[in-house]
Amino acid sequence: MKQVKRWPGWVLLVMVVAGLLAFGTTRDAGARTPEERVEEISKQLACPVCNGETVYESRNTQSASIRTEIKAQVTTTDATDDEIIAYIVQNFDAKTLLVPRATGFESLVWVLPSVAIVCAAVGLFFVFRRWRLAADLVPSDDDRALVDAELRADS
Amino acid sequence: MLAEGLNGVLGHSALIVGFAASLFGAMALASATLLKNPRLVRTVQAYGTLALISAVLAIVVMERGLITRDWSLAYVQKVGSNNTPALYNVTALWSALEGSILLWLLLLAIYSYVIMRRYRNRLGDPLVAWALVVMFLVSAFFFFLALGPTDAFLAAAPPDFLKCCKGPNPLLQNHVLVLFHPPILYLGFVGFTVPFAFAIAALITGRVGEGWLVETRRWALFAWGFLTLGILLGGWWSYEVLGWGGVWGWDPVENASFLPWLTGTAYIHSVMVQERRGMLRVWNLSLLVATFSLTILGTFLTRSGVINSVHAFSDGEIGPCLLGAFGVILVVSLALIAWRGDQLRSPGAIDSAVSREGAFLANNAVFALFAFVVLLGTVFPLIVEAKDDRKISVGSPFFDTMSRPIGLVLLFLMAVAPALPWRKASGELLRDRLFWPAWCGAGTLALAVVLGGNGFAPLLAFGLAGFAAGAALRQLVLATRRQGLRGLVGRTNGGMIVHLGVILVAVALAASNSYTRAGEFTVAKGETISFAGHTFTLIDLTDFTTSRSVGIRAQVSIDGGQAYAPAISKYTAFGQDIATPSVKSGIANDIYLTLEAGSQPSSGTAKLKIFIKPMVLWMWIGGGLIAFGTLLAAFPGRNRRKPTDPVSAPIAFDLNDPAQEVAGV
Repeated sequence: MKQVKRWPGWVLLVMVVAGLLAFGTTRDAGARTPEERVEEISKQLACPVCNGETVYESRNTQSASIRTEIKAQVTTTDATDDEIIAYIVQNFDAKTLLVPRATGFESLVWVLPSVAIVCAAVGLFFVFRRWRLAADLVPSDDDRALVDAELRADS
Repeated sequence: MLAEGLNGVLGHSALIVGFAASLFGAMALASATLLKNPRLVRTVQAYGTLALISAVLAIVVMERGLITRDWSLAYVQKVGSNNTPALYNVTALWSALEGSILLWLLLLAIYSYVIMRRYRNRLGDPLVAWALVVMFLVSAFFFFLALGPTDAFLAAAPPDFLKCCKGPNPLLQNHVLVLFHPPILYLGFVGFTVPFAFAIAALITGRVGEGWLVETRRWALFAWGFLTLGILLGGWWSYEVLGWGGVWGWDPVENASFLPWLTGTAYIHSVMVQERRGMLRVWNLSLLVATFSLTILGTFLTRSGVINSVHAFSDGEIGPCLLGAFGVILVVSLALIAWRGDQLRSPGAIDSAVSREGAFLANNAVFALFAFVVLLGTVFPLIVEAKDDRKISVGSPFFDTMSRPIGLVLLFLMAVAPALPWRKASGELLRDRLFWPAWCGAGTLALAVVLGGNGFAPLLAFGLAGFAAGAALRQLVLATRRQGLRGLVGRTNGGMIVHLGVILVAVALAASNSYTRAGEFTVAKGETISFAGHTFTLIDLTDFTTSRSVGIRAQVSIDGGQAYAPAISKYTAFGQDIATPSVKSGIANDIYLTLEAGSQPSSGTAKLKIFIKPMVLWMWIGGGLIAFGTLLAAFPGRNRRKPTDPVSAPIAFDLNDPAQEVAGV
């Protein structure tokens, strides 16, 4: 059993996992139904009259009519998802997208978490390094003498 | 000036007495501790009891007002109605701000009373005394809120039934879960006051060692358990009531409950490093301060109106009060931490990043990052509006994008950390301990692929979940092999059961978010349609009328079997369409039916929306496991060393001795 757990077993495991992930990721998921496209698009849009809800989640009449229009666009035109979103934002009172832009001041919402990740990683690296250096300190002869003296006193 | 009725007078009196009792209790105990006066200490129990009786009385009076429809109270006019059913009349107490604060107050008074009774023989101990002073002060603040900015007993002019008295929001009188979700969530929110109070007491007294951690370990665990359960029940309520088929929408109110959960989860992990190694003292104190202050900040964000518009800030009185409290908590806590800075220096060091404590530290960094991302996304619209005077929304696409990689990293840490020993792990040890859990992950991944799974992120999530489940099961097998079922009790192994519950929730979320199939159909009475391998027959479509609403209900037979009844209702007092989904739950899939607007009983045609949602049932099973595991973790395990024992010299590892690993070596 010990032999199985050595490197060959792990190499086999990595190959199996990589193969399964590659197969599963590249396999054809099949065409999306119109409703699934409507769902994906309406999840990107904020409900015009409610707080914090998407057009997809909201049950009010404005959101329902936006969903109806998205469905009409999906089933009767060749427009892409992005084109449909642009159309809805332009023609309805869909006040905003739920995804902040990646430009200007709004980009901070994307940038700041990345900066935090880098800071956390660098911070952890230095903290662990400091601790490791501290742990690697070899006791001097004076340290050993102090300990021996304490032990003699105890006994 | 409006004349107060009996309930108004009783309610206000109870709140005034409660406020005074809390304030005098805090003053008496602080004076007794500073002046070392035991006679003053003895009075404290009377103050605590009085505060609890006052809070209970306020709740009883408000419930009486709601049940007897006492229209002399403005709050009853706001959330009561003549035809609200009895159950929702009771739950109407927490269906708006003023009543929610009363519920918060009651739970806080109960916690304070229980702490006071639990330590009744140690009230002379400065650590316990200052902790109770903090709890009394927090109680006094909430009594103040209930008396002033959120006065639930405010008198009202006789009601104009055309304009008022419509009852609670229709969504809050549509499902029995409204009886459980808010109180359980609040038990979690308010419960974190206890460890916070002891943390502040430790800083005031200078006893910043591990003693206060031991005192509050179970309190933090129970608060975390209730918060977790409350959040999951909220998801369940959303699933059963809102009609969009999801459990989590990243709206600000949900985020407000999630933020303290993230920092609280980080705390219950990192506290073990302090108990075991005497390290991370400042970090643990900061996490507790963050958890408690985030409950206040979350209440401010969601109850002051500020989240809708920064300009609404000055309209309500509760906003400045909560923001002020948040500021005071932060300033006082940080000042105390700075004051005790010398004593908070850790005596030890983490020898290696590849160790149990190293994994806990990494886990904490990821949880802290997660909390930062959620907080940033929640308040970012306010920042943009304040700067540019324009509105933006940050919704689920942002949070989904950011939380996916964070969740995957957390799953990886859940897989590796249980196998890591304290201090340092060798490569050989890791290869040995992680081998079968890793193959468990590969097996799960293979099963997902065979069942038709696709997409990199969900498949990776399933693989890592299998890996993490394998690691947790391995730990449990080792524990039960040595100690039988008794081995499941205790923090380490109870924690592994919690991990299994969290893994089930994560897998269910990944599956239902990635592989839900949805279709919308117009179906005639008697017609059968097919979708995703199932048949749906519309048996009947009828109008219905209740005392509160009118609506349409369909009877839909699934696969020729039992009929399910999705409905759509219009609450006459509100004019709002409320969907009532009907769900056929199964081990593999939920079939979730909603009736959409446009259905017409006269012509016998229904607009049906059908969702096939994989594995949702496992989310609720996972919630049950989390609750069970939390309970087991709260009891002491058999071979538990005293957490405050000094850390001994490095212990030699013996790979052939599972007992060492079970004991957490």
